[in-house]
Amino acid sequence: MMQSSPLNLRRAILWIGRLVLGGIFAYAGISKIFFPNTHLWPLFILKFSISTNLSTFAQQVESYKMLSPPVVDLVAHTLPFAELILGLLLLIGWQLRIWASLITLIMLGFLGVVTRAYLLHMNINCGCFATPEPLTGMTVVRDGALAALAVVMTVLAFIEARQPHPWSAPEKV
Amino acid sequence: MNRRRILAGTVSVVFLGLVALFLPSLHKTAEPAAPTMQPVAQPPTETAATRAESEPPSIPAPVVEAKVAALPPAPQSAALPDVDPHKTFGSRNAPVTMETFSDYQCPACKTLFMTTNRRLMDDYVSTGKVYLIHRDFPLAMHAHSRVAARYARAAAQIGKVEAVEQSLFQNQEKWEQSGDVDGTVAAVLSPAEMAKVRALVKGGTLDSLIDKDFALGQTYRVNQTPTTIFHCKGQTFPYSGVMTYDTLKTFLDQLLSQK
Repeated sequence: MMQSSPLNLRRAILWIGRLVLGGIFAYAGISKIFFPNTHLWPLFILKFSISTNLSTFAQQVESYKMLSPPVVDLVAHTLPFAELILGLLLLIGWQLRIWASLITLIMLGFLGVVTRAYLLHMNINCGCFATPEPLTGMTVVRDGALAALAVVMTVLAFIEARQPHPWSAPEKV
Repeated sequence: MNRRRILAGTVSVVFLGLVALFLPSLHKTAEPAAPTMQPVAQPPTETAATRAESEPPSIPAPVVEAKVAALPPAPQSAALPDVDPHKTFGSRNAPVTMETFSDYQCPACKTLFMTTNRRLMDDYVSTGKVYLIHRDFPLAMHAHSRVAARYARAAAQIGKVEAVEQSLFQNQEKWEQSGDVDGTVAAVLSPAEMAKVRALVKGGTLDSLIDKDFALGQTYRVNQTPTTIFHCKGQTFPYSGVMTYDTLKTFLDQLLSQK
């Protein structure tokens, strides 16, 4: 059987999507966990740094006024780690369809939340990364672009899965 | 071949992680310097003479400083500049000093004040373990925070800082919308006290004190509120953001037990 070219447009978009979204997700997770406070040693100081960073992120989640306090706490203490893991999985490329679908759902969720806050003229920080960043129209546009990229990447990941892998061994005749 | 892909992915992930961890300047909106475990350079301490020149005559001299000057050994807080004794809580000889740079219009500062600081006062400040210094850091993005800082400073001069801070934080959403800081403060003071506060605010002498706090914050590279600077055993740890009481308690207990 003929191998498909490893350098076609579909694979290029898939690679770009993986690198961009995986990189952004991993970076967002790391930044929420380790910034703005990056005291790494001794252990009790590291723990305090991470707790403080997550508490600060919880404040940002709460500012959207959508969730009850226990859910805010749950989201603030799980989302950064989920972002980090999903970002890494996307970069690694293992079981791409599953993680790409999950990231697409999360991106669409983020897009919905920031659009709602923007339309309600909420004067809040976006909470996307560790740096306080006011939520503006640009935030909505950026999230929209990333969500679109995630959707395209997921669709292409499903199409790609049906094709033979370029590195796979040719079938014996 | 899957192994090759996994290896390539893992290498890029590790590389990305290292970049993210070792380039903290990406996260700073002001001066690019991440807080580290190394003690931060202490801001220069003003001499008594320069302080006397720069401070307005209506503000009482720092009585606590004069008293503590005779006490050996020098407390942790002795080297800290521009400490307004009206905006400090606890004993200057406490083993841990906490300087909190705060903005009355900032929601996170409200959370810190309403939740963590109340219990901190009861358990650590009033028991002599922590010396708490409130520093004003009114952010330009908040329209009324400097006015609120003026009123709180004025209230501090007449010994009413706790009631006024409580009222300002508790009613933050109201005066943030209306801009009625005066009314918010008046609600918790007697007419005579309010008259004194208004006179101090109109006197225009409080801005220089607020500016001093702000300038000090900039030397610590504070770029968001609340930021708390912990001083303990010659080390300085800057922390940005909200901290829950339980995590703060664990941290303080371990900081206090550190040899």
